[in-house]
Amino acid sequence: MNLLSLINIEFKKIKRSHIIWIIIIPIVILWIPAIINSNMNFEMQAEGISPENNFFIQSFIGLAWFMYPATLVISTVLLNQTERSNKGILKMLSLPVSPTLLCIAKFIVLLLLAAVQMVFMIIIYYPSAAIASQMNDYQLMISPLIILKETGLIYLSSIPMAAFFWMIATCIRTPVFSVGIGLASIVPSVLVMNTKLWYVYPMCYPFYMITALQGEMAANFDTFTIKLIPWIPIAIIITIICLIISCLFFGKAERR
Amino acid sequence: MSLLLEIKKLKRTGFFPAFLIGAILVACFPIINTAVRPENFINQNLPALDILMNANWQMIAMLNMFFLVIGSCIIYHTEFADHAMQKMEALPQSIGKLFINKTLILIGSIIFALIIEAASFIFCAYYWFNTDNSFLPDILKYFGYEFILLIPAALLIMIIASLCQNMWISLGIGVIGVFIATMLPTDNLILSFFPFAMPFQTLNNAIDNSWISPFLISSGIQTILFSIIEVCILKVRRNIA
Amino acid sequence: MVNMIETKNLTKIYSDFTAVSNLNLNIKKGRIYGFLGPNGAGKSTTMKMFLGLTKPTSGSFQIDGMSYPNDRMRVLRKIGSFIESPAFYGNLSGEENLDIIRKILGLPKSSVSDSLKTVGLYEHRKRLAKKYSLGMKQRLGLAGALLGHPPILILDEPTNGLDPAGIHEIRTLIRSLPHKYDCTVLVSSHLLSEIELMADDIGILNHGRLLFEGTLSELKQYAKDSGLPIDNLEDTFLAMIEEDNLKRGSKR
Repeated sequence: MNLLSLINIEFKKIKRSHIIWIIIIPIVILWIPAIINSNMNFEMQAEGISPENNFFIQSFIGLAWFMYPATLVISTVLLNQTERSNKGILKMLSLPVSPTLLCIAKFIVLLLLAAVQMVFMIIIYYPSAAIASQMNDYQLMISPLIILKETGLIYLSSIPMAAFFWMIATCIRTPVFSVGIGLASIVPSVLVMNTKLWYVYPMCYPFYMITALQGEMAANFDTFTIKLIPWIPIAIIITIICLIISCLFFGKAERR
Repeated sequence: MSLLLEIKKLKRTGFFPAFLIGAILVACFPIINTAVRPENFINQNLPALDILMNANWQMIAMLNMFFLVIGSCIIYHTEFADHAMQKMEALPQSIGKLFINKTLILIGSIIFALIIEAASFIFCAYYWFNTDNSFLPDILKYFGYEFILLIPAALLIMIIASLCQNMWISLGIGVIGVFIATMLPTDNLILSFFPFAMPFQTLNNAIDNSWISPFLISSGIQTILFSIIEVCILKVRRNIA
Repeated sequence: MVNMIETKNLTKIYSDFTAVSNLNLNIKKGRIYGFLGPNGAGKSTTMKMFLGLTKPTSGSFQIDGMSYPNDRMRVLRKIGSFIESPAFYGNLSGEENLDIIRKILGLPKSSVSDSLKTVGLYEHRKRLAKKYSLGMKQRLGLAGALLGHPPILILDEPTNGLDPAGIHEIRTLIRSLPHKYDCTVLVSSHLLSEIELMADDIGILNHGRLLFEGTLSELKQYAKDSGLPIDNLEDTFLAMIEEDNLKRGSKR
């Protein structure tokens, strides 16, 4: 049994679990107010940011700071719940598959679901920007290159965070609490981001990325610099530790 | 008596420990925030309480809202998970009273969280700021105001939780509601009347804009409104069932 | 005759109680072994140990000469199991549930419909598992165990929740398995009347200890020798448990 076919199986398990709605609805909720309030993009002289850049960055900030992490939290818990609610995990553990591989396969499914959300974000940006441009008679669409680069950056920088949430969801068995802890851990990222030690807190990575771009775009904003050292090594270490712990705990309670 | 029964139902659900630990963690927040960078705060030419409110309240309010959302989910999940609710409805008791008792537990727990948060503010004020004795009555006023603004949100989320047998739906609605509240501009009066957005308002902001009475009135109206809605829901449910 | 499963002083102690104590079982190849005991006697715990779902506190066991954790994969490939029902994915249909197991076991596609037909679930294969009745869930679990005709079957109270006709049908099915597929079956129940009709060998468990192991006729002989009622086997079983409980009581 190789990893690829396991991932395939994991995708089969989430059929009809409505997880796709959890991925799409936040994106729609993000863009609707952005379109309705699009005239506010023209009142940003104090920040020194152009309306088209502001239209793009406000929604992406909403995504990176809260909606995307929250989706990850809920997805991790739902992925675990599909196993636990009718004891499917017991059947899995009594089949000849390695629990570690199973855990990794599920994590990869999580990352793929997150990627789907990112793609949706890009897809919905274009009609939203087109509608808002029509409404305000001003071209609000910006170069796809920036959009792609920034979405990619948010996505890649969210992997350590995803690993952290995955660990919480496998270790804490009561779903409400793993959701609660996950959501609560998102909130302080606003604060941690402003400190020198931002790189020890994976929940703020995507937010940091987008804020750094905002700093570049807005003339009168503080710029955040992204230093790769020590950020990248620390991010990798955090990811690995979280994954090891979640693999150790995966299915542990069922094997008591 | 029936309130005690509702409290008993929450045994081993982790509801009370969650509120206790959660409130303590939230209370650590302003202390750490001030300890890490006191120079940012103590030199501001404002009353200590206003500085603390400005620096921390957005985050504390958000966490308080999560308390309400998750708390309501736990409270109703014990009823729905193994169809205990069916049994409850088959017993000679009022389901409306059940709702009131559950809401009282949620509101009581959030008062508890507010008290711990206030204690942490008092600590910060005495430790880092030179405060005079007017601080204590002020903090009572500030947190009392926050409590009044929290009531409609608590009622609304309880109504949602009691309607959704599937905990994930009420949780999702709650989380999205909180998110929308954070995205609304706090300087727009009408938008701030959104029940989930009101707890993000602070008394000092209200004083600056002379918004105190609009918010108090809005909170009162919403509380009455949601109560009427719940009464209607109970009536309709009884007629359908 | 060769032993398919053999345990040596197998013991499982949870923090607050002893589930299984010094168990020595001999389950012979190609036979149906009935595992009998009241609720909470330790049957499920023993079966879970055979599946590597829980670790013995002390003692050991071998399955077809192999042991955990070294041969975990090879052992599990040989066992079809049905334990602690219901265990399935509610959002998937019966067929999809089995298909997941099939893929993990690397079996051909036809095996799913085969086993669905065997347990009589074929016409309901497209329905979601959470919409199944208790009896159908039970059948689904059984179908999962039978998938690919494994040489060892471990079935924990497979007839629970079935109607009398269903019980009869499943019992006949289990009865036919050793001839059809040349497999060894370990089946548990808390009803002697049921085990009596299915099993070749019987092991009686109470409070984690093995009270008796042997064939049905040996059980009758044993009962006669120890002065237990023998005209009705159910009474024999109850008397045995009663006596053991009394002994345990006096020891305390």
